[in-house]
Amino acid sequence: MMLRVEDLTVALPMRGQLVPVLAGVSFTLDRRDSVGLVGESGSGKSMTALAIMGLLPPGARVAGRVMLDGRDLLALPEPDLCGVRGRRIGMVFQEPMTALNPLMSIGAQVAEPLRLHLRLSRAEADARAARMLDRVGLDPARISPHRYPHQLSGGQRQRVVIAAALACGPDLLVADEPTTALDVTVQAQVLALLADLAAETGMGLLLITHDLGVVSQTVANVLVMYAGRVVEQGPTDSVFGGMAHPYTRALFAARPAESGARPVQIPGQVPDPLHRPPGCAFAPRCSRAEPDCGQQAPTLAGGGPHRAACLHPHAAS
Amino acid sequence: MTFYLLRRVAILLATLLAASIVVFVVLQVLPGDPAALILGTGAREDTLAALRHQLGLDAPMWLRYARWLGGLLSGDFGTSFTYHVPVAELVRQRVLVSLPLALFAILLSTAIAIPVGVAAAARRGGAADAGLMGVAQIGVALPNFWLGLLLILLFAVRLPWLPASGFPGWDAGLWAGFRALILPALALALPQAAILARVTRAAVIDTLGEDFVRTARAKGLSRPAALWRHAVPNALIPVVTLIGLQFSFLLAGTVIIENVFTLPGLGRLVFQAIAQRDLIVVQDLVVLLAGSVIVVNFLVDLAAAWIDPRLRRAGA
Repeated sequence: MMLRVEDLTVALPMRGQLVPVLAGVSFTLDRRDSVGLVGESGSGKSMTALAIMGLLPPGARVAGRVMLDGRDLLALPEPDLCGVRGRRIGMVFQEPMTALNPLMSIGAQVAEPLRLHLRLSRAEADARAARMLDRVGLDPARISPHRYPHQLSGGQRQRVVIAAALACGPDLLVADEPTTALDVTVQAQVLALLADLAAETGMGLLLITHDLGVVSQTVANVLVMYAGRVVEQGPTDSVFGGMAHPYTRALFAARPAESGARPVQIPGQVPDPLHRPPGCAFAPRCSRAEPDCGQQAPTLAGGGPHRAACLHPHAAS
Repeated sequence: MTFYLLRRVAILLATLLAASIVVFVVLQVLPGDPAALILGTGAREDTLAALRHQLGLDAPMWLRYARWLGGLLSGDFGTSFTYHVPVAELVRQRVLVSLPLALFAILLSTAIAIPVGVAAAARRGGAADAGLMGVAQIGVALPNFWLGLLLILLFAVRLPWLPASGFPGWDAGLWAGFRALILPALALALPQAAILARVTRAAVIDTLGEDFVRTARAKGLSRPAALWRHAVPNALIPVVTLIGLQFSFLLAGTVIIENVFTLPGLGRLVFQAIAQRDLIVVQDLVVLLAGSVIVVNFLVDLAAAWIDPRLRRAGA
C-alpha cells in the first residue's frame, strides 16, 4: 500500500488552547487508486490534506501516522519532507487566482520543482516545463511560458498549478477543491484533465471536494467527513448505493440537483471546533437523533469496507 | 514595455515643466524686490529702476519665466547676489556633498533594514521579532541630530577614529571625503532604517500569508527558499516606494544634520539663501529639488514595473 493514513489526529492552537480539529482519520490509497474526501466547510478535509503534506499552521499538534511507502511522514525531519513535497506528492489548491506567484512567469513556476528536485539545468527545466504545460492543455505556441499569471484565465491558471504539481512525476496528487473556484464549464474540463493524468501516470489521487457529483464520477473510494471525523467511508458505489449515515443522506439531498428537485437544506451549521457537542457531532442537526446520540461519539462500525459512524444508521436499501 | 517607458517619460517631462511654473509664479507673487534688497532701503527710485532693468525684472512675467527656463536648460542658473558667484557653481559644490551623503545613507539604511525586517517577519511573534522591533521602535523615536551628537561623542571624541565635523572636499582625497561622511550618514540612516525595517516586516508578513507561498512550499521549497524567492519579492513594492521617499528627503531635508556636522550641503544652502532673501538661488534650488523628487519618483515607478509585470501595462 503506497499511502496509509492511520488514526490521524490534529489539534490547532486557538485562543490559548489546543483544540482538536481532526480525529481518528484512517484510509489507504494505492497507485492507480483514488480517494475522495467530502464534507461541508470546516469538516476537516483540507486539514487532512495539509497534515499529509506536513504544511499545517505553526503550533499544530499532530498524532497518528502518515505512511508513504513504509516511511512515516509525520516523523520525517523537515529537510526530508521538502524532498517528498513536489517530488513524491504533488498538491493542487482551490484558488488558482492566488496560488501562483504574480511576479514569476508560468514557465518558471512549472520549472521550479524540476530544478529543485531533479537538479535540471535551466534549459532542460524550461524545455520540460513547456512540455508539461502543453500536456495540461496550454500549447506553448499559443500561450507562451513567458506569460505571467495575470494574463491567464482562472481555468488556465489552474492548469499551470496542475502542471507544476505534476512536473516531477509524483506518485500521489492531493487536489484540494481543484474546481470549486472555476466556471462550471471549466470545472468539467479540469476534472477530466486530472482523471486523464491520473490514468496516464498511474499516480494515486486524493480529491477533496464538497461536490458529491464530482466524487461519484471521479474516485473509487470516498470518505464523508463531518466536524473533523470520518462519518462514513467505503467504495464509492457502495456508499452512494446505500448511504448509511444520516449526514451522508442530508449532504446528498442538499446538493443542487439537475432534475429540478429542490435541494433540501441541512438545518444549522457545522459546530466550530471550540464548541463541539458531546457524543455525535451531527446529532443536533440530525432528524434521526435519539437521546443516546448525545452520550458518546460513535465509531466507524461495520465489518466490510463500507462503514459508518452512527448509532442509528439507515438500513442498506 | 517600450510604450510604457515612453508614456512615463512624457509624464515625467510634463511634471517637471509644471513644477517649474509653480515655483516661478509662487516666488514672483511673494513680496520682496531683489533690487531693493541689493541696494538697500536708502536707494533712490531711479537707481532701483535702472537695476531692475539691468536684472531684467521689468520685463513681463512670461518673458522672465522663459529667460529663466532657457537659462536652466543651458546651464546658466543666474548669479547669486550674496555670494557673487554663478548659482550653477554654488550648486555643483553642494551637490558633491549632498548626493554622496544621501546615497551613502540610503545604502546603509537599506542594507540594515531589509535583512532585519525580513528576519523579524520570518520569526513573527517570537523573541527575535520582539527584540528587533523593540530596537526599531527606539530608532524611530530617536531624533537624528541627537543620534549625530552621540555618534560624535563616541567615535570622534572618546574614540578618535573619525572626524567630528567639517568636510575637507573631494580634492583632499576620496578616503578623506568618505571618512567625513561616515558619521552623518549613520546619523541619517539609522532612524530611517528603523522605519524601513518596520515597513519591510509588515509587507513580508502580508505576503507570507499568500497562497502562492503555500504553493511554493507544496512544490518542495524550504521555508527560507519560499521566503526569499516568493514572499520577499512580492513585498518589495512598498519598500522601494519608501526608499524613494527617504532618498528625496535625504537630498535636501538634512539641514539639521548638516549643521551638526558643519557640512556644506544643499540643505544649508537653501536655508541660508532663504534667510538672506537670495531669491534667484532659492528659485533655482527649489526647482532643482522638486525636479530631483520627480526624477526619484520616476525611478521608483520604473523599479516597481521591473519587479511586478502587472504594472507594465501601458494603462497603469
